[in-house]
Amino acid sequence: MPRQRTAGTEPATFMVMRTPRTVDIEITARCNLRCRYCYFFQNPDVEYRDLPTDEWLAFFDELGALGVMDVILAGGEPFLRDDLRALLEGVVRNRMRFSLLSNGSLIDDGIAAFLSGTGRCDHVQVSVDGSRAEIHDACRGTGSFDGAIRGIRTLQRHRVNVAVRLTIHRHNVDDLENIAHLLLEELGLPGFSTNAAGYLGACRLNAMDVLLNSRERQEAMATLLRLAEKYDGRISANAGPLAEGRMWRRMEEARAQGEPPIPGRGRLTACGCPGKKIAVRADGVIVPCSMLPHIELGRIHRDPLGEVWRHSPEMNRLRGRHAIPLTGFEFCAGCSYIPYCTGNCPGLAYTLTGRVDHPSPDACLRRYLAEGGTIV
Amino acid sequence: MNPTDRPIANPVVVLREEFDDWAVLFNPDTADAVGTNPVGVAVWKRMDGKRCLGEIVSEIRDGFEDVPEAALEEITAFVDKLSESGFVGYELKHSR
Repeated sequence: MPRQRTAGTEPATFMVMRTPRTVDIEITARCNLRCRYCYFFQNPDVEYRDLPTDEWLAFFDELGALGVMDVILAGGEPFLRDDLRALLEGVVRNRMRFSLLSNGSLIDDGIAAFLSGTGRCDHVQVSVDGSRAEIHDACRGTGSFDGAIRGIRTLQRHRVNVAVRLTIHRHNVDDLENIAHLLLEELGLPGFSTNAAGYLGACRLNAMDVLLNSRERQEAMATLLRLAEKYDGRISANAGPLAEGRMWRRMEEARAQGEPPIPGRGRLTACGCPGKKIAVRADGVIVPCSMLPHIELGRIHRDPLGEVWRHSPEMNRLRGRHAIPLTGFEFCAGCSYIPYCTGNCPGLAYTLTGRVDHPSPDACLRRYLAEGGTIV
Repeated sequence: MNPTDRPIANPVVVLREEFDDWAVLFNPDTADAVGTNPVGVAVWKRMDGKRCLGEIVSEIRDGFEDVPEAALEEITAFVDKLSESGFVGYELKHSR
C-alpha cells in the first residue's frame, strides 16, 4: 500500500503498489436518470459509448492476472446492462470482489438474489438525497426517490450490504436531519456517507441552482457534525461538508496554537488514490480517476494495464503532485493554513482552474472564511 | 500441524506481491487479507499439497540466508494461522 513518508516539511515519498488494488470501472455510459449535478455526464473530453460483454470479460481476466482485489462498477447506471450477471460472473471467476454504484431504481429481486449468491459483493451504493420524493427528485427526476427506496429494501431483503451516499446540495441542505432519520432509523442501515455536489460534469451547467453557498455550507457542516455525534460513527465522509467541518476545525486549531506542520500537509497531498487504484471509462479508456476523465493513459486491450500503472508518465506525474509545495502557488500566497492544508481534490482543481497541479479553490478554508463562512 | 503434513494453498486466495518483496494474501470469498514477508511468500508458493512442512522448511533454509534455528516452529505457526483463517487446507485421509 502507498506509504507517505512525511515529517515536518520534508517532501512526501509516494509508495506505489506493483499493481492497482482497486479498479473503478464505468461499466456503462447509459443512465435512466439525468441528475442535475452528475459528475459523469457533460464531460466534453469523454466519448459516451459502451463496450461489448466480451471486451469487459477479457479485461477482467487481465485484472485477475494482475491480482487486483476488487472492482467498483459504476456508470451511468450499471443495472441498465443486460449482461450484468455475465460480467459479475467474470469478476468472480477472476478472484475479485466487487461493488456497484447505483440509483437503485432498477434493482429487483432477481438481480438482488444473484448479487447475494455470488458471495463477493462488498456493497451496492444507492444514492439518496432526500427524506421524501419532493426533495430527492428535485435534482434526480420524478419517481427516482421511490425507485431508490424500493431498491434499498430489495437489497436488504436479500442481505446485500447497502451503502447509501447522500450528496448535499441547495435543495436538501435543510433536510439532513430527516434524511439521517430515514436512513438510520426507518430503513435501519448501519450507516451512510456524505459528500456535496461539486463543479464537475453536468453540475457545471447547473451550478447556481445546485452548489452550496457559504451560508448553506456552514449550515450543512454544523448539522452534519451534530448528527455524526448523535449517530456515533454511522455517518462518514471523505469529502463535502462533514469532512471539511472536521478538517477545518483541526486546521484552525493547529494555526491558532502555532503547531508545527501536520505530516503529509503543506503540499498537494490529496488524494492518495493514484497509489492504489486506477479507473476505466465506459469506452475503455484508462484514466487515473473518474474525476479526471480527460487524462487518457491508454486503452484496454491495446495497452497492458500493468504497464500503464507502472510507467504512464501522466500517472506518475499525478503521483508526483505530493512533492509540490503549496507555498509555490500564488493562490496560496500569505495563507497561514498552508502547513495544515492538502490542496484537496485534483479533479475539482482541474475543472475550477484548468490545472491538475493546483490547489482546489473549492475546499479552500481561507476563501470560505473570506466569503463569510465560519468554522463550526 | 505436524512436519509431515502437506499443506495446500487455497486456490481462491490471491497472492499480491508488493514492493520490497512483501506481499498480501487476499481471500476474495471472505475479504480477509494477510500481509507477509518474503519468507512467507516463499512458503506460500511451496504449499502445493505435495511437499510436507519439513520439506518446505528445508527448501527455505537452502534458499535464504540467516534462517533462524526456530524456522520450523515459526513457519509452522505461520501456516497454522493461515489454516485457521481458511487460507490453507490439507488433503483429508479417508478410511475405507
